[in-house]
Amino acid sequence: MTDIFGQTLNLNYVLLLPEIVLLIFSMLVIGIDAFKRQLNISGNVPVGLALAGLVVALTLSILQVNMDEDFARLIQVDSFTSFFRILFIAITLVLIVGSHEYIEKSVSHVGEFYGLLLLATVGAMLMASARELLTAYLAIELLSFSLYIAVSLARSDRRSGEASLKYVLLGGVASASLLYGLSMIYGVTGATQYHEISAVLSAGDTGLTTPLLLGLVLIIVGLGFKASAVPFHMWTPDAYEGAPIPVTAFLSATSKAATIALFLRWFGGPLLPIASDWQFILSGVAVATMVVGNLVALQQVNIKRLLAYSSIGQMGYMLMAIVAVGSGFGSDATSAVLVHLAGYIITNLLVFISVTHFFNQTGQEEITSFKGLAQSNPYLALMITAGLFSLAGMPLLVGFFTKFILFQAVVSAGHLGLVTVAVVASTVSLYYYLMVVRQMYLYEPEDGTEQWRLSLTGYVTTLALFVSLVVFGLWGTPLYAAADAAAAGMF
Amino acid sequence: MPDISVTIGMQQAWLLPAMPVVAFLIISFFRKLLPREGDFLAIIGMLGILLVTLFIIIDFQGFFHDGEFHPGEANVYAFDWVRISADNFLFLIEFSTYIDAISVVMLIAISIVGLMVAIYSMGYMQGEDRYGWYFAVLSLFVAAMLLLVTSGSLVWMYLAWEGVGLASYLLIGHYWERQSAAEAAKKAFITTRIGDVGLLIGIILLWKATGSFDIQTIIAAATSGQIGETYLTIAMLALFAGAVGKSAQFPLHVWLPDAMEGPTPASALIHAATMVVAGVYLIARFSPVYEVVLVARDVILYTGLLTAFLAATMGLVTSDIKRVLAFSTISQLGFMFVALGVGAVGAAMFHVLTHAFFKALLFLGSGSVIHATGRQEVEYLGGLRHKQPVTAATFIIGSLALAGIPIFAGFWSKDEILHAVSGYASPFVYIVLAGTALLTAIYTTRLVLLTFFGSPRDRSAFDHAHESPSSMTGPLLLLGLLATVSGFFVFDAVGELFGFSGGIGYLVYLHHPHAFHIDWAFASIATVSSLTGVIIGWVYWHGGAERAIKARTWSPDLHALLVNRYYLDELYQGIVNKVVLGLAGIVAWFDKKIINETGVDGGAQFIGYFGYRLKFLQTGKIPNYALGIATGILVLSVMVLARA
Repeated sequence: MTDIFGQTLNLNYVLLLPEIVLLIFSMLVIGIDAFKRQLNISGNVPVGLALAGLVVALTLSILQVNMDEDFARLIQVDSFTSFFRILFIAITLVLIVGSHEYIEKSVSHVGEFYGLLLLATVGAMLMASARELLTAYLAIELLSFSLYIAVSLARSDRRSGEASLKYVLLGGVASASLLYGLSMIYGVTGATQYHEISAVLSAGDTGLTTPLLLGLVLIIVGLGFKASAVPFHMWTPDAYEGAPIPVTAFLSATSKAATIALFLRWFGGPLLPIASDWQFILSGVAVATMVVGNLVALQQVNIKRLLAYSSIGQMGYMLMAIVAVGSGFGSDATSAVLVHLAGYIITNLLVFISVTHFFNQTGQEEITSFKGLAQSNPYLALMITAGLFSLAGMPLLVGFFTKFILFQAVVSAGHLGLVTVAVVASTVSLYYYLMVVRQMYLYEPEDGTEQWRLSLTGYVTTLALFVSLVVFGLWGTPLYAAADAAAAGMF
Repeated sequence: MPDISVTIGMQQAWLLPAMPVVAFLIISFFRKLLPREGDFLAIIGMLGILLVTLFIIIDFQGFFHDGEFHPGEANVYAFDWVRISADNFLFLIEFSTYIDAISVVMLIAISIVGLMVAIYSMGYMQGEDRYGWYFAVLSLFVAAMLLLVTSGSLVWMYLAWEGVGLASYLLIGHYWERQSAAEAAKKAFITTRIGDVGLLIGIILLWKATGSFDIQTIIAAATSGQIGETYLTIAMLALFAGAVGKSAQFPLHVWLPDAMEGPTPASALIHAATMVVAGVYLIARFSPVYEVVLVARDVILYTGLLTAFLAATMGLVTSDIKRVLAFSTISQLGFMFVALGVGAVGAAMFHVLTHAFFKALLFLGSGSVIHATGRQEVEYLGGLRHKQPVTAATFIIGSLALAGIPIFAGFWSKDEILHAVSGYASPFVYIVLAGTALLTAIYTTRLVLLTFFGSPRDRSAFDHAHESPSSMTGPLLLLGLLATVSGFFVFDAVGELFGFSGGIGYLVYLHHPHAFHIDWAFASIATVSSLTGVIIGWVYWHGGAERAIKARTWSPDLHALLVNRYYLDELYQGIVNKVVLGLAGIVAWFDKKIINETGVDGGAQFIGYFGYRLKFLQTGKIPNYALGIATGILVLSVMVLARA
């Protein structure tokens, strides 16, 4: 405990070790890459360093799993934080191992790329662990700025620069909205600490209804942008299409999960006392997101855009569950969201890494270019099919189990109407996932297409993800237990 | 007892299904890379099962006091498979194993016959296509069967129940190039599925009533009167429907004779010794509940009785050697259900055990004949005892056991059943059952005479015939020994020798186990009746079977009725063609026109149209996107402020 400005603060830096390690390694990767000619080092050093940093940070996070302590009243290291720390580090780890060939081949500034991924991971981790509005805001910006640059790094793809520009400009608008919203909340409550805001809001009428409600709207818009909620989603397909595929995967996994973590922290914490004021906003946004995301996906011809709309639809299901968090079943709904998030991420990574390898081999990303993949690479076709079926929520795969838990939690909270929309929307989603499967299995490959194989790391990562897809699909109890523990940390 | 039981015992029963599952996975994925296509892995798996079964029996004795089984915590192993809990909701499916005397009897039968069949198959299936795949499916079957009899949870038992059905389907259709095999596989799967639906309904009903899938919890709840009697009767009859399908009881028995299209060793294991007694196991497992719902128990009794009799009459006229055995299996299963129907669980399980040995022996013997001659219709066999002495000798031992001739295994177990029936039900039941036993002796004698005695009717087949290799005769000899001696287990002294303070009546938990004593008068009646059957068989079918052929003219209609299996197959086919397909036609029309073309296609076009319109909101221009955000802010603000 240290006294600063008359406040007693806990400055136990051990709590921040995972983040600190990742920061140091990201600087190392970027620094070494800048001087690689002068130092005459092999091209494998950046990726090796990035992986080493991630493994160390993962180990440290696992060691801190049972902690429940705050750092300087800014960061809370509890089971919720640990869940997301481990999740985010694992995502980056799997992505780098699974697609390093693509990164070496199709990304300019490889070292910076790895460094940015590590920085973005730190940002995401801090978003999940912040216990104070401004810290959370800075964490969002750390994640966003890293990604603005990373999106632009696809080598020899002009769409990449365009995507980055759109992302940064619109991100600025959203960020302004979010900050404005936060300032209104601060103005009403006089606090930025979550628990203090919660105390003020639950104490009763603040007398400042209009700024509070406007603040809520602006916060939902800001976070909704990050979560690709309709109508703040429009950047998503363009950014997904232009970005290097691993960044697209990162956007759809870490960036989305971090936003959902923040949604849970805020709407399950400081803003919970005024749940009735935001529930109907979020319900509307969730319905719009589920409907628009899944309908427009039907019309796509590019696999990355298809997955962009699919992830918009998926975010709709999660926002629906955030509504349920406000209905007095906070812990159940939160753990359901976490279960679904974990399942969604495993599945999404499998699909994206498979698509990355497909692109590596063929250089194509149109849905029709998957024609006959079941013959030219039956293994990869099976992986993609399993991933898409899991996204659609087919039984035996993890997507079914997690979606079932999610929908069940929302029904228990009394939002049958929302779940009805979600069920119809997931039925529609099966159609566009099957469009891809149909190309792979029902059509002959182009003449002259030869059988091809993945790289060893490609096989290892996809197989590991596929096995977890099936194992958690059949035996979801461990996933459920972990999510339950994480949710318990928050409530 | 050795200390090893501390490390491997009833708690480790999950090892039993785990070992063959591993064998199945390795063989099915890597059989092309393995020497001998991996058949040795299946054998190793079976040996492991036998070993673990031995340890389980050693451990099991520790729970056996004063002739009764005292379940303890140690016989249960469990972990949560699915646990979904919320403030107002708990849904739990455990994976659990539960071992008691009933499972132990099943384990003995499965492990011994399984090993014998696997060894035998190395000789029988040698050089065939899909040799490795056969062993993979055999391992899959054994895994599912072991899971079925060790599972403490109805859900896992049901999964295993379907698993053995799947393996059975795959093995019946092993020679799928043959139209008849493919048809038979389909028939077996669909017919047993009809019963399985009943089982599923029963499971759901029991779960609704008790909130649990745990078998012991359900039994405790049902026997303590927590479930209404009518409800419970319906649920238990639904469970019995599953048993009727799987154990080929009337009216769902029609699949078993056709199932003989599969490789003969698979028939021996699946369609004689193990899978078809799954129904008996199920009813025995729930026997405490059937004590409460006596209406359901009577249904079991009369179903078993009718099946036993009908199947025996059909066995009299069948010419395919394997199908005769199939009918005899159906008939013997009927005996077991009769025993269950009078509450004699011990007698039923005893018959399960002896039947497993002697019927597997008979099937493997018939396989040896088919292997040597390439023929399986008795019209083309005859005189084979000269060519195949070992096969003939062991087949005769099996037949004596089946016919119920004293000292052979079948005599003791059948005697127990008849004894139980005479003490319980009306004399009518006893008379029909004793008559069926007589018929059994007749058709068994007929089969032996036509196959191994007389003069060969197909010279070329006879000339090429030879004794089978030792991988096949070895199992025959061992099963021959068991078919002779396994009945002695009924004596208290033999039971004590194995560490149980009593015979089979004590091994299988009963409310009132009776000490075994031979009722001489009773046994002599049974013996005389069996011997009469053998003599009748001899008179009609010895030599050129002239009397039997003449006998057909007594009543050609009756003969035709039996040969055509009471026209039940035609009846079912007619029902399927007229009723099911007719109804399906109407449904298909509705589905095509109303659901698909109007509803689905219309809906899809509607949805696709919306997607198409919405697509144009995505212009690619940044100001438009920002306008989207701004509109969102405006609309939401107006909404919240208007609401406030």
